[in-house]
Formats: sequence, C-alpha cells, structure tokens
Amino acid sequence: MRVVRGFRRLARLLGYAAIVAIVAPLSIANAQQRGGTLIITTTPEPAVITNAFSSAPVTNEVGTKIFDGLLEYDADLKPIPSLAESWTVSPDGKTVTFRLRKGVSWHDGKPFTSADVQFSLLKVVREYHPRGPGNLGAIVAIDTPDAHTAVVRLAHPYPPMMKGLSSLEVPILPKHVYDGTDFRNNPAMNAPIGTGPFKFSKWEKGSFIQLERNDKYWREGRPYLDRLIFRFIADASTRAAAIEKGEVHVATFGTINPVEMRRLEKLPHLEIAAGGYEALAPVMLIELNTIRAPLNDKRVRQAIAYAIDRKFILENIWYGFGKPAVGPISSVYSGAGLYTTEGVRRYDVKDRLDIANRLLDEAGYKRGADGIRFKMVHDVGPFGEDWRRMGEYIKQALARVGIDVAIRSNDSPTYMRQVFTDHDFFMASGWFIGMADPTLGVQRQYWSKNIKPGTPFNNTTRYSNPDVDRLWEAAQTELDPERRARIFHDIQRQIVDDSPVIWLIEMALVAVQNTKVQNLITTPLGIRGGLYETWLKP
Amino acid sequence: MWKARARYIFGRLLHGVPIVLAIVVANFFLIRLAPGDAAQVLAGEAGAATEQYMQQIRSQFGLDRPLAVQFFSYMKNILVFDLGYSFRHGRTVASLILDRLGATALLMFVSMALSLGMGILLGTIAARRNRSSAAALIMLVAIVSYATPLFWVGLMLIILFSINLGWFPTSGMSTVGLDATGLAYALDVAYHLVLPAITLSFFYMALYTRLMRASMLETLRLDFVRTARAKGISERKIVRRHVIRNAILPVFTMAGVQVSGMLGGSVIVESVFGWPGLGLLAFEALFARDLNLLLGIFFLSSILVVITNALVDLAYTMIDPRIELARGRSNA
Repeated sequence: MRVVRGFRRLARLLGYAAIVAIVAPLSIANAQQRGGTLIITTTPEPAVITNAFSSAPVTNEVGTKIFDGLLEYDADLKPIPSLAESWTVSPDGKTVTFRLRKGVSWHDGKPFTSADVQFSLLKVVREYHPRGPGNLGAIVAIDTPDAHTAVVRLAHPYPPMMKGLSSLEVPILPKHVYDGTDFRNNPAMNAPIGTGPFKFSKWEKGSFIQLERNDKYWREGRPYLDRLIFRFIADASTRAAAIEKGEVHVATFGTINPVEMRRLEKLPHLEIAAGGYEALAPVMLIELNTIRAPLNDKRVRQAIAYAIDRKFILENIWYGFGKPAVGPISSVYSGAGLYTTEGVRRYDVKDRLDIANRLLDEAGYKRGADGIRFKMVHDVGPFGEDWRRMGEYIKQALARVGIDVAIRSNDSPTYMRQVFTDHDFFMASGWFIGMADPTLGVQRQYWSKNIKPGTPFNNTTRYSNPDVDRLWEAAQTELDPERRARIFHDIQRQIVDDSPVIWLIEMALVAVQNTKVQNLITTPLGIRGGLYETWLKP
Repeated sequence: MWKARARYIFGRLLHGVPIVLAIVVANFFLIRLAPGDAAQVLAGEAGAATEQYMQQIRSQFGLDRPLAVQFFSYMKNILVFDLGYSFRHGRTVASLILDRLGATALLMFVSMALSLGMGILLGTIAARRNRSSAAALIMLVAIVSYATPLFWVGLMLIILFSINLGWFPTSGMSTVGLDATGLAYALDVAYHLVLPAITLSFFYMALYTRLMRASMLETLRLDFVRTARAKGISERKIVRRHVIRNAILPVFTMAGVQVSGMLGGSVIVESVFGWPGLGLLAFEALFARDLNLLLGIFFLSSILVVITNALVDLAYTMIDPRIELARGRSNA
C-alpha cells in the first residue's frame, strides 16, 4: 500500500515536473528580454543625422531613433498617438488641436512642451526639410495656449498633413538647443538631443554611429535594447560576409545584392522579415521626358510601357523583392481605400507586344530597313549594378519593338546634373517614395505646379494635364474620405493612360536579419521607426 | 657629412614647393570638370528637394561664388596650411584627414614591412637556389599574386579565414561596441589588421620578390663576388654581407614609390575590409563632390611624395657610398 502511494506521489511529481519543463522555456522564449546591442549595417554613411534637415534614407534610419514625432502609424497607415496623446480636427478641417503627452523630457533633462512643437514645425521642418513645404505648407500658425496643447491652424483643409507627422517626416526638435543659433552649424546637428528611445552616444566617422538606451523614455520599460550601433561597411560582399558571420544583426535593403539576400535567407541563422516599408510606398520607375520627341507622343510612351515585362524584371533582376506596379498610386494605399485597378489601363496583357508595335506604327514611327524605328538613350539610376542590369533588359525589351536604346551609366552627381539640371535625357530610371499619403509624395511628380527646372525629384517628366492638376488640387482639401478616394481613383486612371512614367515595381524594402532579432519590423515604417519594441534573443 | 645631407634635404624640399603648388592649382580646376556639385549630391541622397533647399546648401558651401573668388580664397588658405572646411561632414578638412591618417599609416607600414620582408627573403631564396623547384614555386606564387585582383584576394581571405574558420573578423578596425583602451585596444586593432595587411602586401610582395631575385642574380655574377669566393669566404657570408646590400637598391626605389602611393593606393583594401582610411575617404569625397576634402587629400599626398623622394635619394647615398650627394640635383 505504502509503495503504491509513494509511487502515485512520484508519478504526480514527475507529471508536474514535465509540465514545468515544457511550459517554462516556452514562456521564457516569448518574453522580451532587456539588454543587448543591436548592430545594423547600412549604406552610405550619412552626411547629417538630424533628419529634420535631410530626407536621406540613412539619415532617417538614425534620426528616427533619437527623435519622436507627434504621431505614429499602424498597419493601415492610420495615425496612432506618439508625442501627441490625442487630437481633434475641427469640422471645417482648418484647425487641428493636439493634446501633448505630459512628463516627457529631452535627453538633456529639460521638459518637452508645446513650444518645441511650434518651433520644430514652423521654424525648422517647414523651412529646411525637402518635404517640409509640401507637408506643412498649409499651416498659418500654431498656437500654444498651454505647455501641453498645440493648436495648428491651416489656411485651408489639408487632410494629408495628418499622414505625415511621424518622426520620419516631422521630428520634434528641442527649441532650447536650436533657437537663436545658426542651425546648420549648431553642434547638436551631429550630436542630437531628442525625446526618442535612444540617445546619441558617439560617431566614429567612417566606422559607426552608436546610440545608447534612453533610460527615461516615456514608454514604460522601453526600449529593450541597451545599445544600437549603425556600422558602415563600404563593400557589398563584405557586408554579406559580416551578417553571415554574425558580426552584424541586420542588413537594410540595398546593402546586399538581391541574389545574395536569397542565398543568405536560406541559412539557418538568417531570415528576411516581411513588411516595414509600406509607409514609404516606394516605387521603382522610369521617367520619360514628355517634352522631347518622340516621347511627346502619348502613343510612343504607352508602347514603351507595353513593351516592358515587369514580372520578368521582378523575378530575374530583383529576385522577387516586390510586386509589379500598376500606376502611380501603389497598392500599399489600399488600406485607406485609395488604390484601384478598375478601369486602369493594364500594360501587362498577353498581346502587349502587338499593341506596342501597332501604337508605334500609328504614331508614325515605322520600322526602317534594319528594323529600327528610332534611337533613344536610357540614363540608368546610379544606385548599383542591378540597375545597370535592368537597363540591359530594357534595352533588349525595347529592341523587340524596334526601339534602339543606348545605355548611359554615370555616377550620382553626374546623373543628377544630366537629368534634373540640364534636363538632357530621354528615359531615366530611379525610385520614388510616395509616403503615407499620395499628396505627400506622389503628387510632386505629376502636378504641373511642381515643374521646377534644376531641382531634382519633382516633376521631371514635365507632365502637364490640366484635368489631372484639378484632381490633385481637389484631393489636397477634400475632407470626405470616400470622395477623396474616388479622386485618387480618377487620378490613377488618367495618369496611367497618359503614361508619362513607366511604373515598374512596388519595391519591398525588406531587411536581412539574424533570427536572434525579435520585433524588428512592427510598423509600416519598419526600420525607420523607434525600434523600441525590438529585443535580442541571447 | 650630416651637414651636407641636411643641406641636400632642404634644397630638395625647396624645389618641391613650386611642384606642390602647381599640383594644387591643376587639381583645383581638374576636379571641377566632373559634372554635378555637392548640393546635387545631397539632394540626390535626400530623395527630395526644393529650390530653397538647394539654394541654402549652395550658399552655405560657398558654391554660388564666382570661380575666381573661390580659387583665390582657396589658394590664400592653402599657403598657410588651412585646408578648409568640409560642409558635407561639418568638420575641418584637417580634422577629417588626421582622424583617418593613423589608420592608413598603420595599414601601410605593416603591409610594407610584410611585403618588403617576405619579398626580400623569397627573392633571395629564389636567386640562391636558382633553377630549383623551390625557386620555381616561389616565382609561380609571385606571378599569381601579381596578377590576381586585390579585391578578390581580400574577399577570398574573408570567406576562408573569417566565415569558414572564424579566426579573424570580417571588417572594421576595431570591435564595435567594445570600448577597450590601452593594450586591449592595441590587440583588438592588431587582430583586425591581419587580413587587410596580408591582402595589401600580396601585390608588392610579388613585385619585390621578382625585383630582388633579378637584382641578386645579376650581383652574384659580378667580379667582386668571384674574388670573395676565391678568398674562401662562405657563400652564406657573401650573400649576407655583400650581395644583399648591393642588390637591394632597386627594391628600395620601388619601396619609395609604394610609400608615395600610400595616401591613395589602398582604396580597394579599405573598401573590402571597411578599414577607415584615407583612400576610402578620398574615393567617397569624389563621389560626393566634396571638393575641399578631395583637394586637401591631394595636397597632403603631393607633399608626401616630394618628401619621400628626397628621403629615398638620401638613403641611396647612405646605402651605397659610390653614389654621391649632389646638392640640389639628384644623381642616383
């Protein structure tokens, strides 16, 4: 009897032990762990890290950890609170009242107040940031009735503004550090003071930038990481070696060739997390010079669009990172209902090559004795060898419809000068970010009021369609979301038909990461967010 | 004797001044031939721009001043060794260069020592054991090293020693986030220095090996060597005390050339190994159209070449007493 009882007790004990042994590691594995140093490799080394003054990608990657914005965005690109706890928009859309978070302090200990918001928006971002005038141009004044309320008054309703208030676009800077100084020569430019989850620690030029945990961050218990280091390695193969060996935990998109990314993904300790770029809406495209013959004829432009196989480019040159683009308004905007393919001309139909040939014949460019209709030059985007490869494909694709393309490949400043300043080009490949709302980043390419000779990344194609202009202007002030969505659908249909640009791929700017890294991509801003939820498995 | 040498050096340096100035003037205008300016580069990196933005950058960088004004202002500064300001980096050119000078110097000297040491040793062996299989092997290695592109060698070394064997780090000058000081830091840097130094030494080692072998073979045929053998001195002593010293002169010249190329020559290795040196700085400065920085590096480079040439000529006279020191003119 005693033996049986003892036996049962033992069995029960063993049972409990088994349960604990199974459950305990599971619960520990899922719990975030404090500590660790996350090392990210990115390129090129930035010129400045206070991203209120520059929209360069790497500047943004670093700056968004040091600064906060008024808002952040969820998976559908809808605003969620950050430094602004809540906000109300007046019925006429011309006043937005932000109630600011209390108890937030700057990295140097001083308190964050509405004066900082007023200063950052009006005196810094609107004046100095390349997208400042576009994002904040409608603001007439910002009232600060008390230290935690900022009332933004607009000249007219401007719904897109609410989509552009993250730390990526409008970081909040400390007034007490910058006011009254020469901003660009202020030492805080490259040793910034913000309210964000990480504090600036040091910058060894040519090597790395180091950020330390902000122990007084206003999000309780965050960030998890102790340190964040951005390493700059000049050679793409060396970057791949570094992440393969584990010296680096994350390699941002563009630092490693797509073919290498696919190889690295298969290794057991590496993976590619999905998402993290939707708030940028990046699109790879070819701009056509619509005021230069033969591209001034819409049929020629459409023919080129038909002649190019986007799926081929995506699979063979970019190894599947992205999806084929349909028009200027990408599918990432479908969360807000702004995207459509209804009634939009499709350039990927089965008989596209026949249509292309027919259009070129109709436009009057018949094939000569050698099969060539006319010659053109393609300026390849100066972003790496994969773009040159894409240029080679495009040359072959257009040769099939009788267009002889010569490839011109220059370094970045030469390309910028050629295409934007001298406007001496036929077709130029590049990529544009649309940002969280088409008015903020897409409009600039297709609005005739944005034709700015000499200034890059605006309306380079010189596209000018009065109907489309009217639509863009209506979208700027339309408050009703349904009506606004319909305006963008019309825009999509019109612009795709006019084809001033060949839209190639909606890019997936995914990063290669070590499997130890958890919660790297939690928002549509991805690596360009605060990374305060990120932690490292030991 | 030393007084004569000092006078010689001084004379050579004085001659160097107009050369360096001419180089600066020529470079000033040459690099402006490249299209595009720093404002366009920054706008290009920003992915967005307004006219206001471009204008702000141009006026801050002084790019909107007429060329003649920019030229005279630059020359005025250069004459007092003020290398100017790099607006892109927000620091003086001098501070940027000084920051990276140490890393470059370290890499260069270590790789030079390696390549000279190994080159002279292998060349001597190949000459002494001429027509043996050892010599053939050495020459084969030399030719292969000479012909193989540096970046490929570097990457292969990384794959073998870093990824597969895990003996050395893939890149960088020190372990990021380590914060070591003193001896620990020196050891960390040494650990990072191994692969880049070996890679960089390959090419010149091959060069010195072949030069040394050829030079030694020639010297071994000379009369005084035959006399020494006739006197009964051992072969080893002959080689050590007489032949090497005479054969080393061409190697010496080549070494002088290598030092002269020090400032810019290691772009590839610095790029592959992420070594923060001047070569990479100059390379990046070119693509960023950071003209002040680029000119500053060229200026320093040309000064270094002048000084090195003078020193090499001087060293010649010290090694080989037959070569005379001619004041103001090189005789070697």
